[in-house]
Order: sequence, then structure tokens, then C-alpha cells
Amino acid sequence: MELTDEQLLAMHRSMIRIRLFEETAGKVMETGKMPGFLHLYVGQEAVAVGVCEALRVDDYITSTHRGHGHLVAKGGDLRRMMAELMGKATGYCGGKGGSMHINDLSLGMLGANGIVGAGAPIAVGAGFRNKYLGTDQVSVAFFGDASTNIGAFHEAANMACALHLPVVFVCEHNMYGEYTPTNKAMVIADIVDRAAGYGMPGVIVDGMDVVAVHEAATEAVARARRGEGPSLVECKTYRYFNHHGIQNLGLKYRPDDEVLAWKERDPIFTFEAKLIDTGVASRELLDATWAEIHAAIDEALQFADDSPFPAEDQMLAGVYS
Amino acid sequence: MSAADVPLPDPGEREITYVAAFIEAVKLEMAADPDVFIAGEDVGAHGGVFHTFDGVQTQFGERRAVDTPISEQAIIGLGIGAAVTGLRPIVDLMFMDFVLVAADQIANQAAKLKYMFGGQAKLPLTITTVGGAGLSAAAQHSQSLEALFCHIPGIKVVFPSNPYDVKGLMAASVREDNPVLFVLHKRMLGQRGAVPVERYEIPLGQARISRPGSDVTLVSWGKTAADSLVAAEQLAGEGIDVEVVDLRTLSPLDIGTVVESVRRTNRVVVAHEAVRFGGFGAEVAAQIQEEAFDYLDAPVGRVAAPFSPVPFTPALETRYVPDPARIAAGVRAAVARPLLGR
Amino acid sequence: MAAVGVIVNPWAGKDLRRLHAPTGHTPDAAKVGILRRVVIAALDAGASAVLVADDVSRIAARAVHGIDGAALVEGPGTGSALDTRRAATSLHDAGCRPIVVLGGDGTCRDAAMGAPDALLLAVSTGTNNVFPRFVDGTSAGTAAGLVAGGLVPWEAVSARAKQIHVEVVDGHASHHDIALVDVGLIDAARTGARAVLRASSVRAVVAAMATPASTGLSAVAGRVAPVRRGDDGGVLVTLDGSDRLVRVPLVPGTVDDLAVADVVRLADGQAVVWTGPGVLAYDGERDRVLSRTATVTVSVRRDGPWVLDVERTLACAVRRRLFDRPAAVAPLAKEGIDD
Repeated sequence: MELTDEQLLAMHRSMIRIRLFEETAGKVMETGKMPGFLHLYVGQEAVAVGVCEALRVDDYITSTHRGHGHLVAKGGDLRRMMAELMGKATGYCGGKGGSMHINDLSLGMLGANGIVGAGAPIAVGAGFRNKYLGTDQVSVAFFGDASTNIGAFHEAANMACALHLPVVFVCEHNMYGEYTPTNKAMVIADIVDRAAGYGMPGVIVDGMDVVAVHEAATEAVARARRGEGPSLVECKTYRYFNHHGIQNLGLKYRPDDEVLAWKERDPIFTFEAKLIDTGVASRELLDATWAEIHAAIDEALQFADDSPFPAEDQMLAGVYS
Repeated sequence: MSAADVPLPDPGEREITYVAAFIEAVKLEMAADPDVFIAGEDVGAHGGVFHTFDGVQTQFGERRAVDTPISEQAIIGLGIGAAVTGLRPIVDLMFMDFVLVAADQIANQAAKLKYMFGGQAKLPLTITTVGGAGLSAAAQHSQSLEALFCHIPGIKVVFPSNPYDVKGLMAASVREDNPVLFVLHKRMLGQRGAVPVERYEIPLGQARISRPGSDVTLVSWGKTAADSLVAAEQLAGEGIDVEVVDLRTLSPLDIGTVVESVRRTNRVVVAHEAVRFGGFGAEVAAQIQEEAFDYLDAPVGRVAAPFSPVPFTPALETRYVPDPARIAAGVRAAVARPLLGR
Repeated sequence: MAAVGVIVNPWAGKDLRRLHAPTGHTPDAAKVGILRRVVIAALDAGASAVLVADDVSRIAARAVHGIDGAALVEGPGTGSALDTRRAATSLHDAGCRPIVVLGGDGTCRDAAMGAPDALLLAVSTGTNNVFPRFVDGTSAGTAAGLVAGGLVPWEAVSARAKQIHVEVVDGHASHHDIALVDVGLIDAARTGARAVLRASSVRAVVAAMATPASTGLSAVAGRVAPVRRGDDGGVLVTLDGSDRLVRVPLVPGTVDDLAVADVVRLADGQAVVWTGPGVLAYDGERDRVLSRTATVTVSVRRDGPWVLDVERTLACAVRRRLFDRPAAVAPLAKEGIDD
């Protein structure tokens, strides 16, 4: 159950892949080369990585409008992701889905989702499939704190419990629903308090600590695999950037010192300090990982830049199979 | 050989009801494919509030005939998640009015998923429901909302008018790799008709000329298509030879069969139970004038419900739903118009 | 000032152990209810004011809403153990005797770290609840109010708790930590999600309080050599896979075999020395990572926080007819306080 050094370094690498992918995408958006909305995952990396490290490739996940991190953590191809964000034919969705609909069925990633709360019922469906076929696969619904005020979430949570399905509900509690503090949108402070209402266990874990998230996810996933039903893992985390785009400080709806306090607990840098302290890795090794992934992101960006836009005759392709 | 090339079986001698034909189709698909299951409110032990799944759980067990909570969004979500991961679900919404409760999952999720997946995914999901007025079920249990979903690319809409079509269209819907909204009409459930015992598919997107005629084309679907045949018989007694086109599938629309008919009859009326304003009849009418403007001897007529919620009292509900008499009146109006300027 | 202080740990009773075992979950709504009962009863019983530490989950704010005499005390709002520690310091400094703590063993430890000489009245809302008592908020609040208002003298109904002192020397760094119930040396490399789940990972335990009814690391000692709240000293249990297997509820709702190698009674102040590597768990939570060269000295001493006994307080009040109306409020006679 103790994580091996290889696993720890894999989680480190995965978090950096997300961080640099997102920061790069944000910069590209600022240049005007990337159309549409961009909801960046920076700050929350430990959640996607801690959970997905506890999953197999054949497990399913559903994601959110802030979904790049989940696909990267599930093993997504950075080149196809970047191309999709830029609307290119080589992207995951042929340029027709974009940031909010990025997905990879072969990795069990059933889609980011532009509708808040809409992924949870679909995760329930994937969980139903696993139980129906008698496999030991699980399905994970990633969702934000604010989405638990939506009917779809309640329906999904209840149905997963009522049908006793292998579904793990992973709440990324980042304290804001778009531009409104969660404490203005609900009286309760912990999403886990809702879990008991559906009849499933719920636990809180430090969403800035990838090892803590991984431990909780491992327990929840093992439980689901054993046929013991759904559970809810609430990860307390924080999104560094604005709801959309890359503005960080100076936002009207949240104080700067709050942002800075959360950055003190950065999931990557605190993890690196522990890796060094415990002798898992040297600073040089970790720096080499950053450099290597920087290069991979640059390469992905070049690939996306060089890729063609889809031809107009692709407009109707894929509406129906 | 594609389904379209397979000759449809002769209806034969056996007569069963519209709902029995539906159940027969469901059971045949479930027997043939272990990935097919049903899920929805009360579909298991009770067999559905309209008995549309009577005996399915008895035959296939609780694993494959699943009673769900009253959670329309999650019912559709369950279908989507199961379908995109390889199963072939039939999920039921008790009343068509409840599609609005699940509208996001149907329109934003199911219909768009394949497109958003770059065309890579299959979504073999059949959503069954029971629509229409006529039971004094009032404003929230009587609507015909098919036009809403015809407006959404990515989902197919089927609304059969008779037992034979129910069985063949349901078989095709279940085998379809796209989401299908399959609508039964609650006043048709007990209607009897000849239905072959064996399994067969009626390809989606094919209209049927259910009564040939030469004077005027009457386009319809669902229960109104059945009522149109009654109206046509009345009008035959008046010397008006009506050709009835039963669309069967609304999306994709078989406008070719309609246009071919209109080019022969030069007059056309579209009849449906949903409200006239913004109804699917408007789309049919628009396409007819685009494709056959020069063949028309009269404006495209429409017979449909008034622009109000479905009233509860039978005194009003019977006046709300287009019946054979009102359909006939609409046809007479189209036929009566003189040929000005010719 | 005759004020009662109140601290609530919003995240007590919500950790990882709920996935591992059928452990209870304590929702905020329950904590709000307990806290509100404490405040109402304390004011009724004689407290001039109740000062409630604000918390990130706004449990305190909801609980005191509309109650005259209750006031919120701002804290750092970090959403971490630091909030409990700071709250204990500021409430103690503000003269609150007692401070009611809503949480489990871990929360009480944080309160004791913040205010080592505080008078605590601990109410269980945690996962492991060896230190706090299972008591209704109303009773807890009444006892707190009686003591704060001077109607029952605190010395008569309180006792000083034991405390486990841990001196860690690791490289150039040294630390002094405390625990109230148990300290475990865990075979682990990280603190992770903090809870100690694996029985086989426990190398040694020092317990200051351990009964056969305990859960958590304390149960390891409680099931081989119980040591009560009132007994001086503690007990050391070393585990190494020898042939004495003992059934232990390491997490409430689970029972595992633990291989006990050695059991040693520890006198007050007697030192135990451990070495790294591993992780030290304090009152149930993995806390401090030890390198291979770390040295740890553990001892149990009766210099912890003062603990208020609710039942003795209420019994004393009955004898003094403090619940009668009109209140008797007779001058306190020393001979009345003999229990």
C-alpha cells in the first residue's frame, strides 16, 4: 500500500504535465490564437493525479468544464489536447469539441462537460455498465462543489446508491462556483455532509496533498471494486486562476491574500520538498523533469500550430454515426 | 445488405395491440442481445404505468429490467454512460412531458456526445416515452413535444401510428447506434393491428404512404396519422381522394416521400396533435414549399392543436386534439381553394 | 469575567477512516446543534458570556445566531489544526474557564497545544474519542456555565490530565511535541491522509490513556495493559510480529490482529527511546516524518490540560440546589464538595 518511488515520481511528473499544459494554454489564449473559453486547472493538480493514479486505464471517469487536468492525469496525449484547444483537425475531437468537451474514450475519459453537474449521471451509467457486466471496473465522477447544488448531482448520487453501483464521487471543493463564493451558495461547508443523505460514506481529504488524495482515492476505489458501493471523497483545493482565463490576483470576488495563502500550499512544490526531504529525488532530478515536460509541451504546441483546421466538409461529420 | 434493402414481412393474420407490439419488440431485442436492458421508473416489477414493459422483468430478471428512482436526469445519464461504454440501453421516461425534466441529459449530452467525441463514439441509446392527450391527464401529462427534439441535431425521433410500425421501428431503434427518442401515444396503446410474429426492422427515416390517393396529400404521424386514415375514408365518401403519408420517423425526416406525393396531388395538409405554432408541421410545410413550390395549387394547410396547454376537462380536451372531423375540415379547405391565376 | 469558551473543529469526524470502516460521520448540522445546546445551557447556568471561536465552516456562526450573550471570536481561518490551537490560546487568554472543545482526540490535542494550562471540557464529535466524553451539549453547557459563573468551584470538579511528551532530534532539527492519548511509531514514509489504517504498520505505541473500550492506537495498549485517566504514568507496547496476537480496533468498526512483542508499564516521567525511520502518529494521526537517524524520546507526565468532569459538576450543583428556583445560591461550603 505504501507508494513506491516510481509511483511518487509518476505523480510528480503528471502534476507538472498538467501545470505546464495549463499555463501554456493560458499564454496562448492571451495571444488570441486560442478561441473560446479556457477554464484552467492550475492549483488543483493533486486531485486529478491522486485519483487517477489510483485507477486503471479501463476505469472510467467523467469530468467537468475544468477538465484538462483529468485527461492529462488519465494519460491524455498533450499534442492532441493542445490541437483540440486550438480547434485543429488533429485534436481529440477533430477541433469540434474544444476545451470543454475534451475526451478520450480509449482512456475511459468520458468527456469534459460544459454543463455543470451533468457528468455525474453519465458516470453512474458507466458504473451501471460495470456492475451489469460483472467487471471490477469502477467509474469516477469528478465535479466541483458548486455542482452539488444541481439536481443532476443529487439524482446521480442517489441513483448510484439506490442501485449500489461502483461509482466514486470526487468533489473538488475549490471554494468558488464560477465567480461566487461557495459559502454564499450553500449553508453547509463540507460537501461530505451530503453523502450521508444518500447513504454513502464521505470523507474530507487535503486536496493540495497528492499522497493524501491518493490514499483516500485508493480506499474509495478498492471499496467500489469490492462491490461495496459508492462513496464520496471531498478534496479541499483551490483554483489559482480566475474561473476563465489566467487572471490570478486583483479579482473582485476573492481576496488576493487568500490566493497567496493557498499558493503557499502548492501541491507540486510542497510535494517536491517532501520528495527531496525523504530522499526519493534530488532537486536536479526534479528540475530535469520540469525541463523534459517543458519540451514536450513546446512540441505539443508546435504540433497544434502546424496542424490544419478541419475542412468545412467536416461540419456534419459525427452528428450521427 | 442494409436494413433498407430487406423486404418487410407481410403483416399476416395475427392481430395484437400497439402496446403488445412494443413489448414484443423489446423482448425480442433483449433475447437477441445480452447488452440490451431496460431501466426507468416502475418499469420492472410493475411493468410500467402504461404496461409498456409488462412481463419484461418476469422474463429477464431484475438485472436487465431495472426499477430506478424518479430521477429523469439520472435515468437518461444512466443510459448515456452505459451506451458509450458498450451497452445498448432502453431507458424509459414515464410521460413525454418528463423529457423536459431530463432535457439537459437528452439534448446537451446524449445528442451531442458523438459529435463532441469527434465522431469516434457510438451511443446506442433508446429513450422510450408515452405522449399525447386524450386521458384528461391535463397540462403536464398530455403533451406532444416531438418538435423540441427534432430541433436538436444528433438524436432521432420516432412516433409510430400502428402496431406493425411499433414493432419494426422499435427493433430498428434499439439496433441504432445513435440516440433515439421513441414516442408511443397513450390513446393508441390498445389499438389492434396485424403484426408478424417474427422479428423485423423498419428502417428509421422512411415515411410510408398508408393510403394512396390522388387529390390531396395528408401528412401526419403518431395517433394523428391513424385519425388521418379515418378522415380520409370520410372524405372518400365526398369524392375527395386523400393520400395519407405517415412519417413514422420525424428526424431524420423523409421529405422525399412527401414531396413526391405532393407533386402528384398538388395540395397538401400537415396534421399533428402538438400545438400548431412552432410545431413540426411548420418544418414540413417549409420544406414542401422549398422542394415543390411550383406544384402547389394551394397553400400548405395545417391542422393542429390551439396555442394553449392541454386542458383537463373532457369538454375542452376533445376540442383541443385534432380529431378526424377537424382533419377532414382542414383537407376540405385545401381542396376547396380555387386555382387562381391559372 | 465569567465566560465559557467554545471551540469546534469543523473537520473532526470526517476523515479517511469512513471509507475504511463503518465509522460514524459527524455532519456540520450535528455540530451546530451540539454547539448551540452548549451555548444556551451555559448562559442559563451562570456564564456571563460564551465566546465561540469562529471556524471556516461557519458552524459557530450558525450555532450562536440570535443568542444574546454569545459572541464570535475571530481566528486565523486557515482551515487547519492551527485554527484550534490559536483559538485555545486566545480564549484562555480572554479568561475563559472552561473551554468546551467539540472534536475527537486530535482536536483536544490541538487545544492543549494552544493552551497548556487551560481547563477543558471535551465533547466527542471525532473519530477516536478516548480523551473527550460522550455527553450531550446541554449537560456540557450547564456544567461549563456553573463553573464559569463560580457556582461550582472548578478545582473541586477538575483534574489535571496526563500528557505524552515527545522530544525529536532529527539531524540539526529538534522538536517538542505532545499528545494526550497515544503516540505511535508507524512504519510509513509519509503522513498522507494522516489516519493510521494498517495494523501491520504499527511498530510501537505509548499510551497515556487506554481502556479495553478504546479505539485507535490506544486500543493496542487498552487490550493488553489498560491504564486509566487517573493512573499516573502510561504503557509502552512494542509490536514486531512475535507470537502474541491481540485483536485490536485500530479504526472504529474494524478489528485486526496485532502482534505484541513487549508490554512495559511506564512510571510518571519514565523515558522511552525510539529511532527512525518512520512516522510519528499523535492521537491517531500521522504527523511527523522521521529520518533514519532520528531519535525520539517519549515520556508520560501529569502536566496536561485541566479537564472538567461534567457529572461531578452537575452532582455538586444538585447538592447545592443550584437548579432550584428561586435559585438557592447558598454560599459555598467546603464540606459540600467531597466527591
